[in-house]
Amino acid sequence: MAKIHIGKNVLDHQLLDKDGRRCGNVDDLGLEDDVVVAIYSGPGVWPQRAGLLGRVAGWIGGSQRIRIPWEEVAKVDSAVHLKRTAPEYGLGRGDDRLRPYFERIPGADR
Amino acid sequence: MSKLLNLALGILAAIGGFVDIGDLVFNTAAGATFGYQLMWVIPIGVIGIIVYSEMCGRVAAVSGKAVFDTVRERAGFKAGLYALIASEVVNLLTLAAEIGGVAIVLQLLSGLDYRVLLPLAIVALAVVMWTIKLDWIERIFGYGGLALLVFAVAAVKSGPDWVKVGNGFIPHLAQNNPWLYLYFVIGLLGAAMTPYEVYFYSSGGVEDRWTPKDIGLNRANAIVGYGLGGFLSLALMIVGGAVFLRHGINPEHLGTIALGAEEPLGKAGLLFALVGILFAVGGASIDTVFSGAYNLAQYLGWEWGRYRHPAGAPRFALTWLVLLVAALAIVITGVDPVMLTEYAVIFSAVALPLTYIPILLVANDREYMGTNRNGRLANVLGVVYLVVIMVIAVAAIPLMIITNVGQN
Repeated sequence: MAKIHIGKNVLDHQLLDKDGRRCGNVDDLGLEDDVVVAIYSGPGVWPQRAGLLGRVAGWIGGSQRIRIPWEEVAKVDSAVHLKRTAPEYGLGRGDDRLRPYFERIPGADR
Repeated sequence: MSKLLNLALGILAAIGGFVDIGDLVFNTAAGATFGYQLMWVIPIGVIGIIVYSEMCGRVAAVSGKAVFDTVRERAGFKAGLYALIASEVVNLLTLAAEIGGVAIVLQLLSGLDYRVLLPLAIVALAVVMWTIKLDWIERIFGYGGLALLVFAVAAVKSGPDWVKVGNGFIPHLAQNNPWLYLYFVIGLLGAAMTPYEVYFYSSGGVEDRWTPKDIGLNRANAIVGYGLGGFLSLALMIVGGAVFLRHGINPEHLGTIALGAEEPLGKAGLLFALVGILFAVGGASIDTVFSGAYNLAQYLGWEWGRYRHPAGAPRFALTWLVLLVAALAIVITGVDPVMLTEYAVIFSAVALPLTYIPILLVANDREYMGTNRNGRLANVLGVVYLVVIMVIAVAAIPLMIITNVGQN
């Protein structure tokens, strides 16, 4: 992997699964001895990022927090690409839960 | 040939889609209050929206990022969250005003009760958005909005003093009531540079899968579409000066604006004006509500897209449904949509820097943009407008208080 600037090219960037599905943003990074070992995503991470406002937003979002080991990152360009599909990491669950209800409304799959 | 035809059709739709309730209200009211003395503000606003639309369209074409992707990346989580909240509040106010406008025009056309028409208008918009593909929605509302060109005919027919119109393009300060004059300067700039237009424009570029090859198309779209749209703003202000100021009428009702076309052109003029306003404001409602959903989805990394069917981007679709209901809850209280428009435009002036600074930063980023990063012209204009926007943002609320929201 070419040299990348973690703070600028990874943090707060779009996560894409192996099918190119948008499945969250990189909300935080897990560091061990100044080496990135994991990506964190989900409302459970927000309180660390924005104090009281982050706590309120995280609580509204359901406080879920997902850890993705750095080995799961396939490549980093303008987005962060993952090696597997979103459900395998527990990402994109909000969309997956809502989908069955929407599919019942005519016209939703045009 | 078909590419040229497509460009032409796109531009036609852009002209019809440029004018929204903010432009209608502020341009006509400015004409009715100060005659042609504020004409010079319109080109300044139009160039501003062209500069930043071109910039964010280019960012979309090169990096595949829409505005709130860049806000999140550049401003970070916390500052990005403030920008998101500000943009959602302004968007919701704008949406509520536009939907109120749709219901007012429907009321004038049908004679039915305004409060009955409000939920009907919301349901109609939701059904259109759920079932019709967005390129078709844009065409339908864009072409319908072209009926507003009746104001250009009305502007000529109303027999304005063209020397005075010409003098209006020279920047100056009015002697009588300078505070109100400045309030209108800010309102006109805010209405021309409404933030949702940039959100919608850049997200559209990402969805149309623009690549660096489309940079020329992007530039043409921004310049011609917004430029000709600004032409309609000029027409509205001339009508305001030639018809309303002459009769001492202050168009405080959206329907009154349509009367500006009736005086010189008769009943047909009125009908064209009402239909044009209906399509322009209806189309703007759809752009605004989609923008609100784009911003949230991009900030949080959700799946989004108007070309994606609702089941393909469920949280995105849920967001715009919720925003429609929230807007209904605001207008159903009976708050005057024209008043709401003034608040929406003035508050959007306050929120403008939060949107435009990240665009300017990313458009200059060598790593993302390579050789397509901002040239000298884009940067000089970008910085000049940023200063203008900062001044507007600071002055907007004090002026709103001093002038009692433009009442005196």
